[in-house]
Amino acid sequence: MEISSNTQQDNKKVVATCPACGLLCDDMSLEIKQSGIKVLNTNCTKSIQFFEQPLGETTPKINGESVTLQQAISHAVTLLKSSKNPLFAGLSSDVQGFRAVYSLAQKTNGHLQHLNSESMARNMAVLQSTGWQTTTLTEVKNRADVLMCIGTDIVSHNTRFFERFIWLSQDSSAMFTDSSKREVIYIGENLNTQAGVSPDGKQPTSINCSQSDLPEILAVLRALIAGKKLKMQTVAGVQVSGLLAIADKLKQAKYAVLAWIAKDLDYAHAELTIQTITETVALLNSQTSRAAGLSLGGSDGDTSANNANTWLSGFSLNDDKFDHDAMVWTNSFSANKLPGKTDFPLIVLGNANTTFEQIPDVFIPIATPGLDCVGTSFRVDSAVILPLKKVRENKLLTLSEVVTQIEALL
Amino acid sequence: MITHLKNGRLYCPVMGADGVIQDIYIRDGKIIAKPNASEKISQTYDLTGKIVMAGAIDMHSHIGGGKVNIARMMLPEFQETKNYSEPEAHICTPNCSHHATPNTADTGFRYIEMGYTAAFEPAILPINARQAHLEMADTPMIDKGGYAMLGNDDYFLRLLSRKADQKAINDYVAWTLHATQAIGIKVVNPGGISAFKFNQRRLNLDENHSYYQVSPRQILKSLSTAVQQLGIAKPLHVHCNNLGAAGNFQTTLDTMGASDGVPMHLTHIQFHSYGTEGDKKFSSAAAQISEALNKNKHITADVGQILFGQTVTASGDSMMQHLNTKFASPKKTVIMDIECDAGCGVVPFKYRDENYVNALQWAIGLEIFLSVEDPWRIFLTTDHPNGAPFTSYPHLIRLLMDKSFRNEAFAKLNLDAQAMSNLTSLNREYSLYEIAIMTRAGAAKLIGLNDRGSLSAGAAADITIYTDQPDREAMFAKPDYVFKDGELVVKNGVVVKVVWGKTHTAKPEFDIGVEQDLTQYFDKYHTIQLDNFKISNDEIASDGRGGVITHTQSN
Repeated sequence: MEISSNTQQDNKKVVATCPACGLLCDDMSLEIKQSGIKVLNTNCTKSIQFFEQPLGETTPKINGESVTLQQAISHAVTLLKSSKNPLFAGLSSDVQGFRAVYSLAQKTNGHLQHLNSESMARNMAVLQSTGWQTTTLTEVKNRADVLMCIGTDIVSHNTRFFERFIWLSQDSSAMFTDSSKREVIYIGENLNTQAGVSPDGKQPTSINCSQSDLPEILAVLRALIAGKKLKMQTVAGVQVSGLLAIADKLKQAKYAVLAWIAKDLDYAHAELTIQTITETVALLNSQTSRAAGLSLGGSDGDTSANNANTWLSGFSLNDDKFDHDAMVWTNSFSANKLPGKTDFPLIVLGNANTTFEQIPDVFIPIATPGLDCVGTSFRVDSAVILPLKKVRENKLLTLSEVVTQIEALL
Repeated sequence: MITHLKNGRLYCPVMGADGVIQDIYIRDGKIIAKPNASEKISQTYDLTGKIVMAGAIDMHSHIGGGKVNIARMMLPEFQETKNYSEPEAHICTPNCSHHATPNTADTGFRYIEMGYTAAFEPAILPINARQAHLEMADTPMIDKGGYAMLGNDDYFLRLLSRKADQKAINDYVAWTLHATQAIGIKVVNPGGISAFKFNQRRLNLDENHSYYQVSPRQILKSLSTAVQQLGIAKPLHVHCNNLGAAGNFQTTLDTMGASDGVPMHLTHIQFHSYGTEGDKKFSSAAAQISEALNKNKHITADVGQILFGQTVTASGDSMMQHLNTKFASPKKTVIMDIECDAGCGVVPFKYRDENYVNALQWAIGLEIFLSVEDPWRIFLTTDHPNGAPFTSYPHLIRLLMDKSFRNEAFAKLNLDAQAMSNLTSLNREYSLYEIAIMTRAGAAKLIGLNDRGSLSAGAAADITIYTDQPDREAMFAKPDYVFKDGELVVKNGVVVKVVWGKTHTAKPEFDIGVEQDLTQYFDKYHTIQLDNFKISNDEIASDGRGGVITHTQSN
């Protein structure tokens, strides 16, 4: 497991876990050379971008000028001391990183806001209103005979979803269903349905509709599953007969999986669409077959942050907007996701490759878990929590190390 | 540095001390024999008139892991019920907290304030064990540990259905204990969680799982034998089939015979002691269950007492919790199928004393407490948070120790329920010595904690000191002092020092060859690598705060 001692050698191969999306693929085969890392076993662009990113600038900066770490930390402390209510935003990290930021926020009367707070809140609204009946990736792999992708192609967020959990590779197999015979159904706006074509060429069922018509169409689908007789022929331009065929497939499935990605349901009150999906699952389970919901996506460490915040504080993360007079942006993973423009002092603890539109008052480059340091991350289904490895030599401090130093001086 | 606890009245069943005035000496976190006159005593506490017990041990409390966190996440409204001045039910006193989903810090502080120094998470899904340990690592003050759930995982069910030999089962069970850093093995609704994924909605003890064609009885036999043969101190922790269903007492009685005399622990047995008599087809079978417990010396049980008020039930039993969704209050539930490993069901409940079933559930739990003769084989739990939050233990202890208090409470119950219970004819009042057995010595013995639950020399200095008060609820709610590993951490019911506790585990020997087959299984059917399933000691150590204690086993 400990590979850091080997990274000096050229062409060392390791198997690592990729935190670039919520799937946390832990079968990543990496070739580690002096010149950099190469991903050997997948074309997943998210993984390649993650592992093959160069080791960035390691020097901390104050107003864009290079300084020592101690100077940067000391300036961050000064800014935090003069702040009454700092906002800790971004929060893209692993469990250990989040835990450190949580503690600092407690100490400074700060609020927390994850960069995916808006989409996360859609799911939390449903969980806190009605709950849900869901499943996890290994169950999907071994059991699902019908998969319905609602408002999402899934692969834009979770590249290897179909390869790893639906169609499967040669070495992999499903215990309770013939994976090549799975039924895939798409419903949504101009979705790329290519990944849903079975290995022997069977096309998925696809219903094209505007995302904003999903609430109406899904409500009709639920009514049909409930056995309601409808007089209309079409709903939002979609043939009711087509929906009836889908309703039958879902009812006849041994294990139907209804998948959504909250980020792709990006319209007002999209939580009600998610609720219609989860209530449809509950309805199917109250009839004569089994079904389960599956919330996918899960990027930027959002599942880790939400879980850790929940056990530490008792509350899930939310998307409340907070008055603040300083911002601390933390992002261990991504060089591209930046804080919105702010007129207040800005402290960034971020990926070493970050390039800014607004020069922060303080920038401290930090290690990326899974690449520059070890860590722990939650998979999107929250059931599986995996260790992340350090796969390259570097001198970057972890988010938790930097935050602990800041907290000690407050 | 030696601390001297002087003139306390000791209740220590390990020493046979039933109210004996005796001094205790502590050095380096341990209780020691009386030192030589030449050794310097650095600190003395005069405990004249005080009652001294070992730190209490909760052997079954859902304090960490996926379903507990789902409960927190789903129920933000519970986080605002911290003001207990308005108890929801009139027989619940202000100390009877209804805070069912405390965060990790709250969990540790509330336990230690009551003199509890250890709690065990009874339902760790092996695949989710890392989360359980992360949460327990963030739980201050107390020691922790957990029981890993088996018996609904497809790897085990495949072994059993192809009639693998007992050695293969044993190796897998031991491997699981190591991989998950647990101290015991639990089975929840044997076979039922898996059967639910195949659309079976109930599973009786001798009914076959529709896919694997094995019965819960076979599962119980196989797992209890493995636990015994491996020398794991903690008997197989069994959550029986048919949780909460009227008439389930017969399943529970039959389950006692399923292991052919091999030790088993039947957990939250109150929820499994229901008959079908009376107009409402729901009655107390506490008498039959207690009689069977008295007779079957290989069986231990904890009660899972319910107390009135708002709580949430968080269980691995997705099959039975799915049936309970209609009782949810507030109306929301989470049901999950998890990783070909297990499942969970989280259903908020409000137990009401005016409700016939709830009132009888309350009485049934107490009937069992008072009818089981051997306090070494019955344990004080509310199945936190399922029957009530653990913070209601002082209230529950008073119900056990104070007959008139109990009868006053009974008189306020639903009248139909009163008519169906013989509780007022049970005159027993638990003694302090018996409470010390149930909550200290007995729990430590059951779990296999070699150095806890005792005040004798050599034991870890987890010690709780109370003022003797006639109101046992007030007494047990607020100890004068609590020592954790020899350090004073609570004074007058208030935490004075933060410590983090350790994680207790058992690691029996096994044939590592089992990993060959497991690796193939994982590569083919699972979605993570086998190596990532295993939790290292370093992970538990978590920045040096935590640590692993491994207890040597009985054979």
